[in-house]
Amino acid sequence: MKGSASLSLLHRFSAHPDSRCWFVSWNSSGTLLASCGGDKVIRVWGREGDSWVCKNVLEDSHQRTVRKVAWSPCSNYLASASFDATTCIWKKKIEGFESLTVLEGHENEVKCVSWAPSGNLLATCSRDKSVWIWEVDEEDEYECVTVLNSHTQDVKHVVWHPTQELLASASYDNNICLYREEDDDWECQVTLEGHSSTVWSLSFDASGHRLASCSDDRTVKIWQEFPRDQAGTGESSWKCVCTLSGFHGRTVYDVDWCKVTGALATACGDDTVRVFKEDESSDPDQPIFSMVAQATKAHSQDVNCAAWNPKEAGLLATCSDEGDIAIWKFKEE
Amino acid sequence: MCTRVCNPEVHLTGPFKTHTSTLIAKEWSNELNMSEGDDLFDSIFLADERYRGEGYREGFERGRSRGLQEGRRHGASHGAKLSCEISFYHGFAVTWKCLLQNSTDVKSRKRLKAVESLLALFQSCSYDDPESVSLQDNVEKLRAKFRQVCSMLNVPADFKDYIKTSQGTSF
Repeated sequence: MKGSASLSLLHRFSAHPDSRCWFVSWNSSGTLLASCGGDKVIRVWGREGDSWVCKNVLEDSHQRTVRKVAWSPCSNYLASASFDATTCIWKKKIEGFESLTVLEGHENEVKCVSWAPSGNLLATCSRDKSVWIWEVDEEDEYECVTVLNSHTQDVKHVVWHPTQELLASASYDNNICLYREEDDDWECQVTLEGHSSTVWSLSFDASGHRLASCSDDRTVKIWQEFPRDQAGTGESSWKCVCTLSGFHGRTVYDVDWCKVTGALATACGDDTVRVFKEDESSDPDQPIFSMVAQATKAHSQDVNCAAWNPKEAGLLATCSDEGDIAIWKFKEE
Repeated sequence: MCTRVCNPEVHLTGPFKTHTSTLIAKEWSNELNMSEGDDLFDSIFLADERYRGEGYREGFERGRSRGLQEGRRHGASHGAKLSCEISFYHGFAVTWKCLLQNSTDVKSRKRLKAVESLLALFQSCSYDDPESVSLQDNVEKLRAKFRQVCSMLNVPADFKDYIKTSQGTSF
């Protein structure tokens, strides 16, 4: 390990007892943390003094596991993706959350949901191999604007670019697809091939010029956007500029790029949480990332998700198959 | 052993070529008439090779005809399934266009636009050339568009009788 940094546990609490905790998501101000799990329930957590308390329970909407949750950019809405083939949209009210609408259309398990930075578009993906983009209008009505079939297998994750209407998806077919709207129609413009097994998750850096992907092949890859060629024709291209291998003992289930510090956190099937940073002296086109901190046995089972707080530097939430959420403080000295 | 080895065509002259069913008897009677003993043995030694060649050709013909039949049947069955699915989408789109085209509200206009983009796929792509490299892509595009349109129309997209049957079709 390089440099001196630490990852210390601040809190640990049972979020989905006797079940898996699949995913956690911070609202945009970093004050609330939503979690979802195998118990078909979504919980919203908030800090009160020195502890984390459950502020809301969102239940009775999904018939099966809730796999992912996502806050809208304005944090007034929460979307939940479930194995029951539906996506629920919840509206935050003064007293709790109200189920606003249920998005149907996927043939089977919905694996992920993500809001575009504008809040006007929502993407979902499913085991049915498709990625759907939904448009939201002023009356909170959602309509599907496209169905994309670029993957040949289960689509595990979708995430929007932080500033542009560019969507990335990761799949069991080992590939990553990038989509843009062209002539009123969405299409896959680039396919990133490189992982040798399922790509589980993706995260853009703050600028959106880089994308981190993590995989069942036990590596994390950093992809970088290179602008259009000199003639100005064609699309900008994405190339793998760094592969982090040898660090993870099992499948890497999640990766999250901190928008504040630039640190990269990973959640791994070997129960460990790791933090990586780019060496400042390395060539930007050939960056070198070093592991700067890790918490072995961070959880007693697979770590499913790692999420940096969007405002408070170094505050990291992780969750695991054992049903717990852990809150960590990452500190560089 | 003998010069005939180098010249096997000699056995295929005369009546041998005409009727396969009577071939063996005729060959033998003919060969037995031959005066030279060498010729008699030659024909025995060469019989295996000759029959193999003829059998091969016969089998090849039979195989070709059977293959053609099976291929045609397979092609017809898959072509029919695919055409049934695609035509269903077409009929669906045309019907919805008729239903929506006189409505002026925003929602109907949006729906009509989606239906029209589905219809446009029938104009821009052909689905009747099984050897076309883009057939798979075009069909996938059509299926995706159909699902989007169903979602916009609030129609469940599970038309099992029309869609599921051909979804297993591989090209």
